[in-house]
Amino acid sequence: MIRVLLLGCLLLIGLAGAWYGSRASEPPADFRYVNPSDLHTLDPARMSWTPDLRVALNVWEGLTSYDPQTTAPVEGTALWPPTCSPDRRVYTFALRPDARWSNGDPVTAADFIRGWRRAVEPGTAADYAFLITDYVAGAKEYGRWRLEGVGVLTALSRLSDGWRITPEQAQALVRHPIWRDVQAAGGPASLPPPAADDKPAWDAFLDRLTRGAVDWRGFHDAAFEAHVAEMDERFASVGLRAVDERTLEVRLARPCPYFLDLTAFPTLMPIHASIELLRECYRGAPLTAEGLVAYDPQWTKPDYRRNGYGGLVSNGAYGVADWRFKRRLRLAANPYYHDRETVACQTVDMLVYPDVSTSLLAYETGEVDFLPAMEVPFDHEIARLAESGERPDFHLCVTLATYFFNFNCASEEVEGRPNPLRDARVRRALSLATDREALVKRVLQRGDRPAHSLVPPDAIPGYQPPAGLRPDPEAARRLLVEAGYAPGSEVPPLEILYTPSDERVCQALARMWEEELGIRVELRCKETKTFAEDRAAQRYLIARANWYADYNDPTTFLDCLLTGNGNNDSGYANPAYDALLAEAAEAADAAVRAELLQQAEALIVEQDCPILPILHYATPIAIKPNVHGLYPNARLVFPFRYVRVER
Amino acid sequence: MAKSRRAGAMLSRDGPANVRAGMPAPSAWACHPYRRRASAWHPGLGSASLRLVLRRLGWGVVTLACVYAVTFVMVISVPGNPVQQGARNLPPAAAQALRVRYSMDNNWRYFGEFAWGALRGDFGPTFMYADWTCNQIIAQALPVSAVLGVLAIALAVLIGVPAGVLSAVRRDRWFDWLTLGCVLVGISLPTFVTGSVLLLVFAVYLHVVPIGGWGTLAHLPLPAVTLALPFAAYITRLTRVGMLDVLGSDFIRTARAKGLSRRTVIWKHALKPAALPVLSYLGPATAQAMTGSFVVEKVFAVPGLGQHFVNAALNHDPGLILSTVLVLAALLIAFNIMVDVLYAWVDPRIKGAV
Repeated sequence: MIRVLLLGCLLLIGLAGAWYGSRASEPPADFRYVNPSDLHTLDPARMSWTPDLRVALNVWEGLTSYDPQTTAPVEGTALWPPTCSPDRRVYTFALRPDARWSNGDPVTAADFIRGWRRAVEPGTAADYAFLITDYVAGAKEYGRWRLEGVGVLTALSRLSDGWRITPEQAQALVRHPIWRDVQAAGGPASLPPPAADDKPAWDAFLDRLTRGAVDWRGFHDAAFEAHVAEMDERFASVGLRAVDERTLEVRLARPCPYFLDLTAFPTLMPIHASIELLRECYRGAPLTAEGLVAYDPQWTKPDYRRNGYGGLVSNGAYGVADWRFKRRLRLAANPYYHDRETVACQTVDMLVYPDVSTSLLAYETGEVDFLPAMEVPFDHEIARLAESGERPDFHLCVTLATYFFNFNCASEEVEGRPNPLRDARVRRALSLATDREALVKRVLQRGDRPAHSLVPPDAIPGYQPPAGLRPDPEAARRLLVEAGYAPGSEVPPLEILYTPSDERVCQALARMWEEELGIRVELRCKETKTFAEDRAAQRYLIARANWYADYNDPTTFLDCLLTGNGNNDSGYANPAYDALLAEAAEAADAAVRAELLQQAEALIVEQDCPILPILHYATPIAIKPNVHGLYPNARLVFPFRYVRVER
Repeated sequence: MAKSRRAGAMLSRDGPANVRAGMPAPSAWACHPYRRRASAWHPGLGSASLRLVLRRLGWGVVTLACVYAVTFVMVISVPGNPVQQGARNLPPAAAQALRVRYSMDNNWRYFGEFAWGALRGDFGPTFMYADWTCNQIIAQALPVSAVLGVLAIALAVLIGVPAGVLSAVRRDRWFDWLTLGCVLVGISLPTFVTGSVLLLVFAVYLHVVPIGGWGTLAHLPLPAVTLALPFAAYITRLTRVGMLDVLGSDFIRTARAKGLSRRTVIWKHALKPAALPVLSYLGPATAQAMTGSFVVEKVFAVPGLGQHFVNAALNHDPGLILSTVLVLAALLIAFNIMVDVLYAWVDPRIKGAV
């Protein structure tokens, strides 16, 4: 019997070998690069991670695109330069006559409106929807109206399935016109809702709603029809208009000097009409039962066939030929692209190597040509090789990104401990006691630049950030005394919340503050997801953070600290700061605008210090010497259509 | 022999059982020579082992349900927002819309919908990789892990069983000490060390195989060997212990006394009962190897299932966590049942009475 077992093993090995040997191997791609984890999504409206954005910039093309060296906006699908009205609020884009999709269809203005509308819809849940809702006139109101409708339709849908709804959903339902019909129909649900904070009455009310014999399905369908009927009319008030098939007119809510930078971003890319074949419908209307606009998530696959859909259609320099999850994404040159003669690499492979060290080995042996990220444990060695010139193929990209720490400026106490950081003098003292040069040069040694401001200096043309605070421990100690923390009644212990990758920096910070200011600092490490939740809920005293620029303007950094901004994790609320930024948004002159933004940033980094800037990233990348057309740039944008590989 | 026959009892050569019992003649199919009782095929099988399998399958379903419930409770208790997968804070309105879309606004609803979908074979969407469903991810990753795992187990058995047998036979001699030393190293060395060393030697310095990835014959040997080594070490130890145990028993001494050759005694008579501990280890080991080893997959960039276990947990992705856990549990149960049946087959003394 054991012979049988051993023979079976040999047979298995032989079969596996024969099967693998019989598969025809594909030719290698012209250009290969590495992505440590596969794409989170290929949907341009939903993506927010840099590797995804990198692929989208090659697979689709927006109204403008990025220059490979300076990342300034240049011509894309629309003719350059677009017309702008004298009040700088209306842009008219004329699309190129030779702009085509990968199946030969011409690119029309309706494709752009479809893509932008999709990004604004709540069902898409786009991280970057604000790029449209904050700038295009009427988009925010449309989004808000849609969200209200979705809330009501969800509540009605849940009720008709027999599920209990939350008080918030019930309150939204009661405010909606459909509630009058519910009350008119009589029955147990027709009694008026209780007062807002009467919890037991609300429980009883929700019970009556759920258990009462009400025709919720009928009310839901009525509300649904009414919502669908009003939807297109509401969207007509958004500032997007197709003047004709090849001309798009965009009306902005306020002047935006960097709007052409935004139009190159993947969220604002066009979507081909064939996606409508994969739309989820309810009762013949193009919404789900909850009122959400939803498409089959498989629409991004090149080989997906359902309901007449022919696979992914895109308008960029490359199309998606093949996508094997966690293995390889193969891009093939788009035969209908308007500049197809200049595209040198006909196939591009994105290979997935989960281990960065393995990908570095693959680069060294020549199996890949380009590493856009090298987050290895020996990053100081990489930085040394790059800076000394020993490895001319390693580059340290000075990146438009900042690593900083958030101070909790809002909460009175955090998990039972008092919060001394509500006082700006304490925060300023901590900033004065931080030696950023030592952190960057001796602790991390990665080639980053020490940061004294939120916006990186010498990065955005026309803008220089303020000088910030230089290390001055004496002044820091004086500030603490002024704030009431003389020796005798010291600052209560501070806790730094961080993720595992920030170990060294946090230890160095704790050491600095303990030595210079005598403050006891505790370190708390949490895994990334739990950390993110704690930070968003302000359950921390000091927490690490970073920010990558979304567009080439200081407001991409400064808007985060506006009162009530979704990414304002420190809880900073200063009306003077908000006023400065609002004034800068209306300023016509670029120099005046830069001056106002500088004043606002000076508030942040020199006076109130809601954040503690540490460093501006220098991202190490590796480009093989025989690869031309890839340039280290501040936004890590690498369009592949300029790449030429000499073999 | 006829003298020992009970009075009135008929011999089997007198006809089929029902004829001997005086019952009416059965149909032609029932008399067909191919149709015999299971125990006529092999002394180890029988209606008892069939009942055993059915009973174990039933308990397997119950186990799967318990695994699902416990995992679900853990998944919803862990802090963190599963729909927040982007690099920025998702606006609360968008997060709410996503939760509604995926039925995550109500835990009971999600529990029921996922269970109902799983019974129909549809594990639903994953939040981490929005363009793929759990079914697609598992369908792409499981065959890769399965091939790698089966290959690794096959190699482990090929290396481990002979090494263990020879080590037991040549006990306390140089071969035994060498084998025990190798076994200790094989169990103690973590796979990321052995994998990285093999990668450096064979892929970087000797250029015999590609650095990593999957898809051709050349991608197979390195990850298979790395994954096989710890299993081979355990199998060697288990075989050795089993053999030493069996070699000292009476029936082996009888066989040697009867004049059977050493080789026959070891490989034909002693190995079967000695292989029982190996068999019971192989069941869960195969399931474990088939669902992927995270470390081997990471080092060699193999697109298998192991990384999905870990990444799904790190990303708090409920759909993928639940589906991978259920797949692993189902495989474990299936392999354990198979091992129990094989027990009876290997050693006829165990007639489905396990």
